[in-house]
Amino acid sequence: MKEKTIYEHLREKGLSRRDFMKLCGTIAGMMGLEFVPPVKAPGKIPGPGPEAVVAQALTTRPKLPIIWLEFQDCAGCSEAISRSSSPLLSNLVLNDLAIEYHETLMAAAGFQAEKAKEECLKKYFGKYVLVVEGSPTLADDGIYCTVAGKSNLELLKEAAAGAAAIIATGNCACFGGIPAARPNPTGAVGVTDLIKDKPVVNIPGCPAIPEVTTGTILHFLILGELPKTDHLKRPLPFYGNTVHDHCLRRPFYEAGKFAESFDDEGAKKGYCLYKLGCKGPTTYNACAGLKWERGLSYPVQSGHPCLGCSEPHFWDGGGFYQGQSAPILRLDKNSTATLVGAGLAAGAALAGLNAVKKSRARKAIKTAASEKVSSGTGEEKKEG
Amino acid sequence: MNWTEIMNFSRGLLLHVSMIIFVAGMSYRLVRVLLLGWQRDRATNKGSKLKGVIVNYLKGLLVLPFIPWVRRTFRHNELTFIAGGLFHLSLFVVLAFGTAHIMVWKSLWGFGWKSLPTPVLAFFSSVGIISMIVLLINRLTHPVLKLLTRLPVWINWLVVFLPMITGFIMARHLWFRYEVIFSLHLISVSLLLIWIPLGRISHFLFYFFSKTIHGAQAGKRAVTP
Repeated sequence: MKEKTIYEHLREKGLSRRDFMKLCGTIAGMMGLEFVPPVKAPGKIPGPGPEAVVAQALTTRPKLPIIWLEFQDCAGCSEAISRSSSPLLSNLVLNDLAIEYHETLMAAAGFQAEKAKEECLKKYFGKYVLVVEGSPTLADDGIYCTVAGKSNLELLKEAAAGAAAIIATGNCACFGGIPAARPNPTGAVGVTDLIKDKPVVNIPGCPAIPEVTTGTILHFLILGELPKTDHLKRPLPFYGNTVHDHCLRRPFYEAGKFAESFDDEGAKKGYCLYKLGCKGPTTYNACAGLKWERGLSYPVQSGHPCLGCSEPHFWDGGGFYQGQSAPILRLDKNSTATLVGAGLAAGAALAGLNAVKKSRARKAIKTAASEKVSSGTGEEKKEG
Repeated sequence: MNWTEIMNFSRGLLLHVSMIIFVAGMSYRLVRVLLLGWQRDRATNKGSKLKGVIVNYLKGLLVLPFIPWVRRTFRHNELTFIAGGLFHLSLFVVLAFGTAHIMVWKSLWGFGWKSLPTPVLAFFSSVGIISMIVLLINRLTHPVLKLLTRLPVWINWLVVFLPMITGFIMARHLWFRYEVIFSLHLISVSLLLIWIPLGRISHFLFYFFSKTIHGAQAGKRAVTP
């Protein structure tokens, strides 16, 4: 039997054609599709609008199978998805547009869950999208994270083998995240460090913005490919600008008006949080644009500096509340004293050597002079 | 290696190592200069050494730089005096009152102070950069200076100019991605820190010794330093 298309599936659930078209528009917006100019030039036949592209895909394609694996993580990205700002939309993505195996959210447990996954892997081999949350570990053959007796390395390789594309969601899966913070006892790495032969896209964040994860899944579903990425494999529609670029406190930054502490007059007036440690200028993410909780707010708007959670090794990038310009490693009093001591000692030692050399030379000249005086020519006397 | 890693490296290990070299190197230089020894001052004490020192500092830092034309030496080197003075002034203002710099001091010493408004800082940093360019052109064209200038002087100019220009570009968010220009700024600052103990920029410390000693000598003889 032919597989049902997503549109047929949605119609069965009672969605009208009108609602379907609205949905297509929303999805296009969420994906950050921007290939139609906002003002269509007169005299030119415009190409299909983004909503038409989405509608075309949804009426012709079956559901997208997604396998969602969790490794070393806090399940925060799944939490974020399940409580996302647009729960209807992410529900829709995960329930109606996709078929899913999700270790944390699925009803099945234990052997049943394992069996479901195996079936899923077999049935959709070469078609499914693998979403990885949490960092795989390398130390001691990956024994620090095992599910059903299999190490996370095995699990990742097994699932990646038949994946059409891989989406690493959250900083842990992308760059190792918190488990990879110094001294990284479990040898945590990002998915891209291990999987080289499949298309991988990184959706970093702590947690990843749910709309970005679902938007990327939708991009694959609708266009059949992963979105264009930057040098860290982050999708450009979402990670093309820094948090600082779109920050609503940016005018205060430009004017040099900063909150000096969390409870001073500046903080109350909504001044820039740069001095309180904001990492916005170097953090590429969609926070300031998409925001959280239906566009309600994002950290900087709520009065907290950006931690830079979508950047590699943000955990080791200096104090969260220390300005970004502050050096990460600082000389403490003791080491400064040691260094000054070492410098002084070296200087004094060399000066001492010089002094000894000088006095020896002086003595040598004196004795030479006195010898010459005693042997006695007029010229030498002058020299002496 | 991507720019994020380069930034973390230059903010972390590189800056750390250059600070180690800077602190140990300057301590070394200091003791070497002090232990060269100086002649005993046999003049009888007619005035106050302390007064001489205070007057010398006030004149050297607060009075003469703003009325340089009263000096005889000024008349032959107006350009060097004005550009050099403006360069030092703007460098001090930006280093001491720039927002990002105050955060560096705060992280090192545990306390900070108010920064100047961004447009004021922009003005001073542009003045500093223009002065540096003027001084470079002067050095490149002046027949005598050209003869006197050897490689270390060009290095001095470069290692001071690079942090200034990269800092200016970074603070104004021009042309580069922030992490790129931030890394370049920190790399150039590290270069400067490493170079200072090796070259004549160490005068930033020795200046105060010579000012003190000259002031004390003049004060002892009850003459105006």
